[in-house]
Amino acid sequence: MKILIADDSRVMRQIVVRTLRQAGFGDHDLVEAADGQEAFDKTTAEKPDLVISDWNMPGMTGIEVLRQLRAAGNNVKFGFVTSECTPEMKTAAEASGSAFFIVKPFTAERFDEVFAPILG
Amino acid sequence: MSVEVEVDENDLAEMVEQVWEAYLDPEGVSPLMQTYDEHQPSEVHSSVSITGSWSGHIVYASSLAAAKRAAAAFLAMELDEVSEEDISDTLGELANIVGGNVKAMLPPGAQLSLPQVVLAPESSARYPNTERISGVYGLWEGEPVSISMWQSSTNTKEEGA
Repeated sequence: MKILIADDSRVMRQIVVRTLRQAGFGDHDLVEAADGQEAFDKTTAEKPDLVISDWNMPGMTGIEVLRQLRAAGNNVKFGFVTSECTPEMKTAAEASGSAFFIVKPFTAERFDEVFAPILG
Repeated sequence: MSVEVEVDENDLAEMVEQVWEAYLDPEGVSPLMQTYDEHQPSEVHSSVSITGSWSGHIVYASSLAAAKRAAAAFLAMELDEVSEEDISDTLGELANIVGGNVKAMLPPGAQLSLPQVVLAPESSARYPNTERISGVYGLWEGEPVSISMWQSSTNTKEEGA
């Protein structure tokens, strides 16, 4: 499977990659995007099976990426890894078709819990 | 309308503990030892601003050595491999994580900014019309680290949430 990791923080992209490996998902094809626009473009061009996105990014936020993808008819499995998690954000994410919401700081156990049903 | 902030030192301490457990001290061998000294020195700092239902700043400050150690832990590299960019990115992410967790505890309608990083002491920063309302101050392997919350005195709600 191909997984796209979108986060404007290089450090956080690296931590997400490492945590995926620790949780046993390191064999998947991992692609990175450094902002919302790049996330949208790469999701369209590279057709990943899963998008793990930050919420707060310059230019286009994660929720805007998700909404634009859905508006374009793209139904890729998409969810958030973010330091912010308010009820209104969760509601907005779910309403737009988000599959999961992981809060930073996270652990490999949390990744396993969320991604095992998706990645098998 | 001024808003009573519901995030106290214990909440901040709990967030800090989670960050240490997840990224900075996963083995549980070098926690942040609290000193309760809000005047401890720093050499670098990062911050995020929150506006809306509550307005103010969350500031992460530390010595350069502690920032370097944090970057090495975040990026799984040796201390001597850590670059200035690594330190800067790590400091930004630390402020972002704590700021996001603080925001989640505030009344609806708060917005979080992108982080700002300054490779200079926190004392060089100026947050006009703010007062420090809470903080966690400690030593991490002997190096100063602090996380503090500054509330804008003009804390008003612009519109109904």
